[in-house]
Amino acid sequence: MLCEKCKIREANIKYTEVINGVKNEHNLCAQCAKEMDLGHYSAIFDGEFPLGKLLSALLGLEESSQKEDKLQQIMCPSCKTTYQEFVENSRFGCPDCYGVFDLLIGDKIKKLQGNGTHIGKKPKYQKIEALTREGEAGQPFAEPELSRDEQLEILKAKLQEAVLKEEYQLAARYRDEIRSLSQETQPENSTEGRSGE
Amino acid sequence: MNKWFEQRESGQPNVVSSRIRLARNWDKYRFPKSLTAQESEELVKRLEYGLKNLKELDGKEYEYAYLEELDELSRRALRERRILSSGIIEKKETVGLIVSRDESVSIILNGDDHIRIQVISPGLHLGELWKTADQMDDYINARFSYAFDAKYGYLTSFPTNVGTGMRASVVLHLPTLSMGKKFQSLVGDMSRFGITLRGVYGEGSENYGALYEVTNQKTLGSSEQEIINLVTQTANQLNHQEQQVRERALKNHRLEREDEAYKSYGVLKYARRLSAKDAMIFLSQMMTGVDDGIFTFRESCSIYRLMLGIQTANLQKLSHEPLSKEELDMARAAYIRNELPELC
Ligand SMILES: [Zn+2]
Ligand SMILES: [Zn+2]
Repeated sequence: MLCEKCKIREANIKYTEVINGVKNEHNLCAQCAKEMDLGHYSAIFDGEFPLGKLLSALLGLEESSQKEDKLQQIMCPSCKTTYQEFVENSRFGCPDCYGVFDLLIGDKIKKLQGNGTHIGKKPKYQKIEALTREGEAGQPFAEPELSRDEQLEILKAKLQEAVLKEEYQLAARYRDEIRSLSQETQPENSTEGRSGE
Repeated sequence: MNKWFEQRESGQPNVVSSRIRLARNWDKYRFPKSLTAQESEELVKRLEYGLKNLKELDGKEYEYAYLEELDELSRRALRERRILSSGIIEKKETVGLIVSRDESVSIILNGDDHIRIQVISPGLHLGELWKTADQMDDYINARFSYAFDAKYGYLTSFPTNVGTGMRASVVLHLPTLSMGKKFQSLVGDMSRFGITLRGVYGEGSENYGALYEVTNQKTLGSSEQEIINLVTQTANQLNHQEQQVRERALKNHRLEREDEAYKSYGVLKYARRLSAKDAMIFLSQMMTGVDDGIFTFRESCSIYRLMLGIQTANLQKLSHEPLSKEELDMARAAYIRNELPELC
């Protein structure tokens, strides 16, 4: 749920106010909650937000809170997941998050997983550049293992879908892909044709 | 075709089932949480298309479906049979399901991760299951390159799964051990060895049926084989302890043990109404009696199958119309009466 005040950040503070016997529920992000003066509400915080953290955020008690704020705003450029979001639901948004938050989460992962580096299975088929880092020759990656006709079939379906959704840029891209893919097939066909004559 | 849990029991007392799960992500897309509805749909369709000939790998018949096509009851029934997890059942974005007819192999597309492979079987067979999962993994990997990192291994949505991306688990029936005073501290101790032990149907004394699941806690820093060894050893260890207390109980209180086993059979065979709680308790007691050799059935009967069968969504599904709580208790009793063989 988005914060009802800024409508940008995720709401992680839920509070209930009772005015003249009428109960109202509000959902705010930490920042907006901090900016609002909640003192005059008989607020009951029942979100998952740890109370200690909430208090320090509200009152600016902790010296480190500014530093923490900065940390929390570190964002993965690929998926826009912030460090704060990660701390809240321990969930990453994309593979790049591991690199972006590596230094920040190293300790947490250690706590969770022990002091470990992966020693198990490695992908058998992987892009070569991914494995050359380790000087290991993975098998050349074939992706996807579809026949040209199958690939064309998928692309045509996607093109149709893009047109229906009026996403013409996307449609143009698919059209180009279809064109280049079907051109690849032609030389083969023509050689076959000639040899048949 | 028989489901995996309908097969004859493995003959190993107290071991119900084993399971291997692998989490993988295709490196072409962000993790499920960051995908738009449109991207989710595209991802699932592309994965499903690439895996449409899964049969060529193992000869099994597979069914392909989207979660959104299934009604609420079918989803809940799939959760009861442990193919879907409760987090995924509510998901709004496209989720793909590929399930073998016997339900021993299933792949969830765009759940918590892009690809979750699950293989499951009766008895304690983690090594064999890993072989199956490993092959399935290579088959998928030949079509879709994975998000992988030299340090962190297979990259997953939750850092709790990173590394091998593997959870190996064994479901054990521990009716006597779990009643002991030391059991709760045993559960706590397990985590020191990197093992989670938890009730399948709830925590503590609420876990009616006394089924417990042993799972590896960590996924990073150990090889798949090490994880399998750890979980297998722990399961054997727990089973051994259970057997010891059972043997002692049988030696010192033979009459009480026989009485309990026969009474539970009697209730299950003739009751007209059974709550889920009572049914699980009696099925567990009967399972204990069978494993202790107190009595045998005239035909083979998987008691675990009955435990799965009496879960709410399955009964609702069988009845083809919504059942009230009372009707549900009647349907549960009827289901068991019908399925339970005579004694020898
Ligand atoms: Zn806000
Ligand atoms: Zn990211």
